Amino acid sequence: MRFLAIAVAAAVLIALPLVTTGYVVYLANLLLTFTVLCLGMHIVIGETGQFSLAHAAFYGIGIYAAGIAGTTFGTPFPVSILIGGLAASAIGFVIGMVALRMRDIYLALATFAFGEAMQWVFLNWNAVTGGPNGLRIAPARLFGLELVTDKDAYPFVVATAIAMLVLTVIVARARLGRSFRAVRESEIAAQAMGVPVRRTKVVAFGISAFFAGIAGGMFTLFSTYIHPDSLGFQTTILVLTMVVVGGLGSIGGAVGGAIAFGLISELLRQAPSFQEIAYGAILIVFMMYAPKGLFAFLADRFRGARHA
Amino acid sequence: MDKDLILLFLQQGIVSGMVVGSVYALLALSIVMIFKTSEVPNFAQGEIFMAAGYCALFLLVFQATPVWLAVPLTLVVAFAGAALFRRVVLTQVSRASGSPVNLVIATLGLSYVLKGLVRRTGFGDTPRSFPALVSTDGVMIGQASITRLDVAIFLTALAVMAFLFCLFAYTKVGRAMRAVGMNPKAARLMGVDLQRIHMLVWGLSAVVSAIAALLISPKILMTAEMGGIVTMAFAAAIVGGFTSLPGAVVGGFVIGIAENLVGLFISSRAIVVAPFVAIMLVLIVRPQGLFGGRVAIKKV
Amino acid sequence: MTVTKSTVLAAGLAAALLGTGPAAAQQEPGLTPTSIKIGMFAPLSGANMAYGFDVANAAKMYYDKINKEGGIHGRKIEVVLEDDRCNANDLVAAVKKLVEQDQVFILNGGSCSAAVVAAKEYVVRNKVPLVMLNASGDGALYPPTDYIFGAFSISQYAVGGAMIDFAAKTLGAKKIAYVNHDDAYGAWNLEGAKADAEASKVDLAVESVNPTINDVTAPFLKLRAANPDALLIVTYARPAALMIKKAAEMGFNKPIILSVTGTANLSQLMQNVGGPDALKNFYFQDVLADLPGGPKIKWVYDMYKQSYPDLAAKPDHPQAYMPYGIPSAMSIVKALQAAGPNPTREKVLDAMKTLNFDSGVMAGPVVFGPSERAANKATIFIKFDGTNQTLQPGVYSSRWKFKG
Repeated sequence: MRFLAIAVAAAVLIALPLVTTGYVVYLANLLLTFTVLCLGMHIVIGETGQFSLAHAAFYGIGIYAAGIAGTTFGTPFPVSILIGGLAASAIGFVIGMVALRMRDIYLALATFAFGEAMQWVFLNWNAVTGGPNGLRIAPARLFGLELVTDKDAYPFVVATAIAMLVLTVIVARARLGRSFRAVRESEIAAQAMGVPVRRTKVVAFGISAFFAGIAGGMFTLFSTYIHPDSLGFQTTILVLTMVVVGGLGSIGGAVGGAIAFGLISELLRQAPSFQEIAYGAILIVFMMYAPKGLFAFLADRFRGARHA
Repeated sequence: MDKDLILLFLQQGIVSGMVVGSVYALLALSIVMIFKTSEVPNFAQGEIFMAAGYCALFLLVFQATPVWLAVPLTLVVAFAGAALFRRVVLTQVSRASGSPVNLVIATLGLSYVLKGLVRRTGFGDTPRSFPALVSTDGVMIGQASITRLDVAIFLTALAVMAFLFCLFAYTKVGRAMRAVGMNPKAARLMGVDLQRIHMLVWGLSAVVSAIAALLISPKILMTAEMGGIVTMAFAAAIVGGFTSLPGAVVGGFVIGIAENLVGLFISSRAIVVAPFVAIMLVLIVRPQGLFGGRVAIKKV
Repeated sequence: MTVTKSTVLAAGLAAALLGTGPAAAQQEPGLTPTSIKIGMFAPLSGANMAYGFDVANAAKMYYDKINKEGGIHGRKIEVVLEDDRCNANDLVAAVKKLVEQDQVFILNGGSCSAAVVAAKEYVVRNKVPLVMLNASGDGALYPPTDYIFGAFSISQYAVGGAMIDFAAKTLGAKKIAYVNHDDAYGAWNLEGAKADAEASKVDLAVESVNPTINDVTAPFLKLRAANPDALLIVTYARPAALMIKKAAEMGFNKPIILSVTGTANLSQLMQNVGGPDALKNFYFQDVLADLPGGPKIKWVYDMYKQSYPDLAAKPDHPQAYMPYGIPSAMSIVKALQAAGPNPTREKVLDAMKTLNFDSGVMAGPVVFGPSERAANKATIFIKFDGTNQTLQPGVYSSRWKFKG
């Protein structure tokens, strides 16, 4: 069953740029970027249970770092993307260490405040980020190859997304993943079992920020401009809802949520006057009737139908 | 900067800060009330505040309802709406999944729905106000200049805090609310109707926010985005200690004054980031805030 | 049916063949012998809907009028409208959809300056003409490109400069207090103001505030402490009303001038500031040819009522910036007409660069040039005391020049 799903996904991914316009490929690029963001959030909230609301800040750090590296210093884009990921994860590690003592709601609020403060920095540090004028991002370059259109960037965006997905699965199956989940269930029990709780939490933050930074790097592959308005709490909430709607705690849920919500978002753009109400209503209805996420909900239905 | 100017700035900054801080205090009280009894930070508090303001606007300006009728009507609508949301939506969410994340997201959903509804009415486009409930004649406090409305806002915040304090400390309902906050299972065993208490708390929280809206809307002018002021309220609640009602009030004043002093002595650009810096500092240095009890460690 | 490798390959080939079909058009996209497709985008939802919703409606109604009169060289205008939600990401998505999916001939959109700048590279690279709606969009107009035209409302550089010009020349101010926003808009109008301040030998005291500000005590106190001869407010409507209120509360009696960025709804403004007492020494800047509702531009409002009777009946409609859609649409129509019966994008762009006409709606003419892409740089000032509006003589502009 899973094999078929992967085959279908592969077919769609390969066929997409051949049968559709650059606009659809742009949407796909955006969706893949958000998928990586969701995977990052899955690691810190879904696996480790740490309620971090600073995701958009790390995404922004990744975009600016990768963008500046490529535009001002002319680094080839695999290096730029990596710089984005590392810059974000460095800050992520620091935040993780500072946040060690905090729990649940306090952690959520502190990371929320950090995210907003970071957006203010993006908006006011004119020398580096261009401030309210935004930052121009030059087309990504790899030796001779230049990525100018969405279709040019697409294969590399897909490759990066797949790499991050593989990384997520590796981490989940490794001992680190088990440590994450142990900390989520019960810190005291985990400690008793010999899990280095403090270090695990810091690592979770760092890795999650790395993912967000890589997503930022992906963004620079197909975008020419970034403005701090897109890097605030709204974006973090968007990613959070994708993960929750898809299903917290499962990799498939994170990926599925990104796709489902990305499509819903684009559809809602066609109904401007009801957008906000529809968005809010979707959140409420999901929380009321499909709390484990869309895919768990559907899976339950199918399982029920088959057994009936 | 010469000494006279500094003195003037300090006086005005503190006095104006106390006034705007009173509003932060009222909203912070609303947030803390709900958090104390259900451990849910209500991300829709700002929109409840905003919706109550627009309800009052609709009644006072568009229906020409007299003040003595419009005010209680607004409070009733706020109470009913919030209690209904708690009863219909949040109860179901709790039942479906105990995770606090889900409850928070449901409140987030409410905030979008309320904003969207207000925008649909078409009133949200241009900044609006209704006639202030108290006169806006000037009053001098030392060298600082404020209005009678400002004084009323300040006194109301204190009155509401006093009322809530009495409610929680001396009445049966208040004690039941505290019990539900400390240990819901034990409270239920003692015969407390959890549903009813939760609805009451949400309703009361909305009423306090509505009072804030009635007072402050003419002062800050109404748009569909005015719920953004809730960030300051969250900062106030954190500074005061997220589980302490008097803390919320003190926190409100602290944030209000800090906002003004930062604007006066550092930079106007820094005003908007000041509450976030305050939140981070407090949570790093002293997470329980000024008045909160020791941060509870859940025993698992 | 099992999905074999060969099936996938065959499907891929078929798809590739389909994909390389007529989309690779040799002729101009969006043009048929009987129609011209114009891709419009504006904020149709969300917090900033008021900046563009009715502006787009105004442009559409003008296109309808042209269609009723027979179209342009026998072609009717067909409009595709997208919601850009006033933010960079959605605007870029809307533009890409219009260009690649809907294959429009020309783009007519953009009410939000910071967002529209995001589309600059894409539009230039794909050689698509972009004529903004009412956005100032200075970031995409300087340095000039071959493809982007805008500032039909007014260039922000002109806003700042004109405000200083008026305060210095007409009110004789030597020290001016200037409050703007900490966004892109604010940076542009401040730069324009500084250029004029230097030329007029005027001192500026500047405070930049966030548009979400609730308590303006701090910035106002600081400005008052600078002892200015006039207070210039270059913010959006709500913070502007807060400043005017605060000034009245503190007994400030020097002239207060409000820029066009904050004027929106005047009667509401008076209510918001607590009554006519706050407006004893108050002027506002406008870019329209007449007082709002005056005889010169009444035809625009009449046309709106005719075209959108349901909207006109709702409160707050037409929205304040509605008339700004007219000069934008007029420019496109004129350029299309000048490009002749066999238009190409290049011909239309060349025609745009030579436009110089009075739209009858704005205070100044729409003037483009070989390196000028900002349409309007002229403003007027009106004294307002709560009931009466008195037009001040003169048309004010800015001495700011782009240093390439």
